[in-house]
Amino acid sequence: MIQSNNFRYSPGEHEAETASSSYLMSLIAIIVGAPLPILNLLATIIFYLSNRKSTYFVRWHCTQALLSQLSMLIINSFGFWWTVSIVFTAETISNEYIAYMISAIAFNIVEFIATLYTAVQTRKGKHIEWWFYGGLTNILCKESR
Amino acid sequence: MKKAVFQGILIVTLFFGTWYLLAQIKWVTIFNIQKKTENTEQKLGEIFWDVFKKTGKENTNKNVKNTIDSIVNHICETNGINIAKIKIHVLEKDDINAFALPNGHLIVFTGLISQSANQEELAGVICHELAHIELNHVMKKLIQEIGFTVVGSITSGSEGATIIKEATKLLSSSAYDRKLEKEADIKAVDLMVEANINPKPFADFLYKMSDKETIKQFTWISTHPDSKERGNYILSYCKTKSKQYRQVVTAEGWFKMQQELKKSE
Repeated sequence: MIQSNNFRYSPGEHEAETASSSYLMSLIAIIVGAPLPILNLLATIIFYLSNRKSTYFVRWHCTQALLSQLSMLIINSFGFWWTVSIVFTAETISNEYIAYMISAIAFNIVEFIATLYTAVQTRKGKHIEWWFYGGLTNILCKESR
Repeated sequence: MKKAVFQGILIVTLFFGTWYLLAQIKWVTIFNIQKKTENTEQKLGEIFWDVFKKTGKENTNKNVKNTIDSIVNHICETNGINIAKIKIHVLEKDDINAFALPNGHLIVFTGLISQSANQEELAGVICHELAHIELNHVMKKLIQEIGFTVVGSITSGSEGATIIKEATKLLSSSAYDRKLEKEADIKAVDLMVEANINPKPFADFLYKMSDKETIKQFTWISTHPDSKERGNYILSYCKTKSKQYRQVVTAEGWFKMQQELKKSE
């Protein structure tokens, strides 16, 4: 699921630190206990925008962090509004709802561990490509920019 | 590009696959959610009925009790509804009203009984309220209107008397949303047909009442969606059903009960 590849060049100390921070941004909202799924994405978007003119290594990792957050946003938003509808409307707790929440939590845990691992490895200057998100980032993030 | 698309589809499939497989497990039973919901409903039923008991005198006339019991028992028996679940209360009030409370409490005002031209009209209204109970509309409405948290705090006793009174008022004098009302009307016709009770007088009752919607005492009508429209769809639904109908209580028994009610008024 996670691959450590050689990047086109060896990133500098500052680059590694900034790239690592892009992953940490998505964890900040979880760490402070924010219940809204949009906050993780917002933090990552702000960080991405502020680094869009940065070096290729930084941009690449900011994009991967942002893409992974986008898919989590879809999963978490659906779970969040489903929960809201149970609390405030006539919707009831069903087997499907509990199954969805377990699946969503499982995916969030996997994503959390992957993010944490990637942040640590990127800080060491290693280039970590996630399954699917890495490929997608390679398509979207070009060096020539 | 193809690789990324393939991997994307695989991730989506993995998520939905996990969800689908986990949904096969009976989590609701494992976590005892049904039982907890029933306990909540039971407590709410007791709380609301306690409030209602204080607002009006319960009618103890033997004839009235027997007639209403006969109609409700007959409908329940023929439709496989657990009669032990239904708690009927006849309150002495002039308002033409009947409504359901949580945990199967069915409140009928004497005003409705005395204003019903025949037993089928009354059976229609009773069936409509039984339908709300059977389709779990009562709890749905409560949660929709006052929210899950307030419902929970009422049962735990942390909500004040004002909130409970407001919630009680909501159940007795406001309608369910249009979709739920239509569902209950259609189910009511099914219950009546199954019980061999002619559902047409129920539609007639609504037509009759639609002319009187402005009259304050017609609470059951004025709080429900357009009676004429309801009468129309009930009538057209009735046409799809044809059966030999019969009366649950004898004409003499019905007349005698109404006479006694009028005397006591």
